[in-house]
Amino acid sequence: MNIALLEMRRAKLRFGLLSVAVALLVFLVLFLSTLSGALIESFTGAIKNLNADVLVYSSSARDNIQGSRLNPTVTAQVADVPGVASAGGIATTTTSAQLPSGKGDLALFGFDPNKAGAPGGLKEGRLPSATNETAVDIAGATIGSTITLLPTNIPLKVVGILSGAQFSAAPTAYVDLPSYQAAIKASNPNVPFIPLNAIAVQTEPGADPATVAGQIAKAVPGTTGYTIPDAVAKIPGVSSVSQTFGILVGMTFVISIVVIGFFFLILTVQKMRVFTLLRATGASTGRLARSVIVQITAVVIVASAVAVLLVWGALKGASSGIPVSLDPTLVLGTVFAVWLFSLAAGLLSIRRIRSIDPATAAGAR
Amino acid sequence: MTTNTAAEADVQKTGRPILEVLNVTKTYGEGHTAVTAVADASLSVEEGQFVSLLGPSGSGKTTLISMIGGLLTPTSGTIRLGDQMVSDMTKKELTSLRAERVGFVFQSSNLVPFLTARENLLYVASLPKNHNRKVAAKRADELLGELGLSDRANNIPEKLSGGERQRVAIGRALMNDPDLILVDEPTAALDTALGRQVVQLLAREVKQRGKTGIMVTHDLRMVEYTDQVFEILDGHLTKSDGTTPPAGH
Ligand SMILES: Nc1ncnc2c1ncn2[C@@H]1O[C@H](COP(=O)(O)OP(=O)(O)OP(=O)(O)O)[C@@H](O)[C@H]1O
Ligand SMILES: [Mg+2]
Repeated sequence: MNIALLEMRRAKLRFGLLSVAVALLVFLVLFLSTLSGALIESFTGAIKNLNADVLVYSSSARDNIQGSRLNPTVTAQVADVPGVASAGGIATTTTSAQLPSGKGDLALFGFDPNKAGAPGGLKEGRLPSATNETAVDIAGATIGSTITLLPTNIPLKVVGILSGAQFSAAPTAYVDLPSYQAAIKASNPNVPFIPLNAIAVQTEPGADPATVAGQIAKAVPGTTGYTIPDAVAKIPGVSSVSQTFGILVGMTFVISIVVIGFFFLILTVQKMRVFTLLRATGASTGRLARSVIVQITAVVIVASAVAVLLVWGALKGASSGIPVSLDPTLVLGTVFAVWLFSLAAGLLSIRRIRSIDPATAAGAR
Repeated sequence: MTTNTAAEADVQKTGRPILEVLNVTKTYGEGHTAVTAVADASLSVEEGQFVSLLGPSGSGKTTLISMIGGLLTPTSGTIRLGDQMVSDMTKKELTSLRAERVGFVFQSSNLVPFLTARENLLYVASLPKNHNRKVAAKRADELLGELGLSDRANNIPEKLSGGERQRVAIGRALMNDPDLILVDEPTAALDTALGRQVVQLLAREVKQRGKTGIMVTHDLRMVEYTDQVFEILDGHLTKSDGTTPPAGH
């Protein structure tokens, strides 16, 4: 007979309230992590999903791709460093454009289709292979439609749709380097020379990206190499955003664990007489401990189900402009962590149960 | 009493009473605060016998039956139930002894508040290692019927009268068909008529099912349903011949 579930059925209000409280906390954890994940992705996607293992900036760039200026000739020098399989130049600028949603900012990227540095996350179509073809991560863009750069009125034909390729929370368009250079020249005919912002490197199989990054910096004066995760973490604002959200999520997480732990401790203390009686009638400590575990598990399951529904509803209801979706791995991971730590908090209760002297049930004072 | 003689004959055959308590002492605490609640007590009870234990408050009755029922370990002396040495058991062994061989009715009737009368019985039935749900359900209904609780079976203790609760506690003690039934003051919460009824039921259960029962009582009128009478005074146990009224009453 499962005494744990029977008790919950008889005390629906009490356990219902606890489940709701835990559900709200799990909701907060999930909502905040989903939101921060989406936010960070929209800041970093272009670099994170780049088809490369190492990025090279100029040493004066202060770790920021937009502050980096490299002479295109450096590409060949980088390609010669041992461990480098392919090196391709990347250039980026922010420009105005006519987008499906109207006039707006666009991050334009130029890359070399035959080398490292192509955008990742191709959802539909193909990558650009000819002049003024583009692959984009722009809300509402479709294959065959046109994005017009302003004020030059250069039309870019959309041949591919990307996802997770945004940069600085702006929509992005990827073109080949010649198209990129033509676009810059058109808007600023006097520009003497168009620099690259970075060089994307694919390492040889088996080579360690961090080591190769270090070797490039040593071999090519004036450059600094970064592994992709390193480059992502150093994008301005990313570390502070993820830290802020990390603290919020962590605190909510801790609060939910404490709530569960103390609730069950109070419940256990209140039920000491019952537990003593059950021990006296021959229930083992392990059996009573299991009933606490069953109840914690049941509360976490119910609360998580409610929380997932709430998050789902909230994401559907709130249109935040950045693409947000609920990641099943995040949900399962969060729920599992809440469950695990709640069981750890349940140890407080189990310790009380272990200390029971069944003789006291007989009332020999 | 015929059953008594039968039981005695049985003992003569096997030469061993089912329950044997030998020179048992229980001291609570240590040093100058030590209290000897039971001192050098010995008693033996044969199968099918129902005995009563009399004594004033604080004389050690609960302590003694707690040791017999595997709730407390004696400071010294031995307790044997059948071929098991209760006094030598580990805590774990005592737990399964209580689940499988002992039915205890505690001094204050003690039920699980969030379980119905029937569930209180079924829960203890689920404790022994090999239990059978169907058999348990049938036995619970039978016992509740015998105890006059059939139509109260699905009520939680809060909705039961004191006497009904007491009877549920007795049902729970009988549920696992224990070899030994220990009852601590079954009549305290009951009026005389109901008390008598409950004690009769216990006596019948012991006789019919060939169990061994010990009943703690203050109430001398209940002694007539038992086969032997023991008295305890300040922890010292004596067998009463039933002629002189016990001390303290
Ligand atoms: N856990 C304990 N620690 C210390 N002393 C105890 C403890 N339990 C009982 N005692 C003492 O042991 C003595 C016997 O107690 P016990 O409960 O066995 O008496 P009793 O005969 O059952 O009394 P009553 O009729 O009031 O239930 C008493 O003096 C009591 O104060
Ligand atoms: Mg007592």
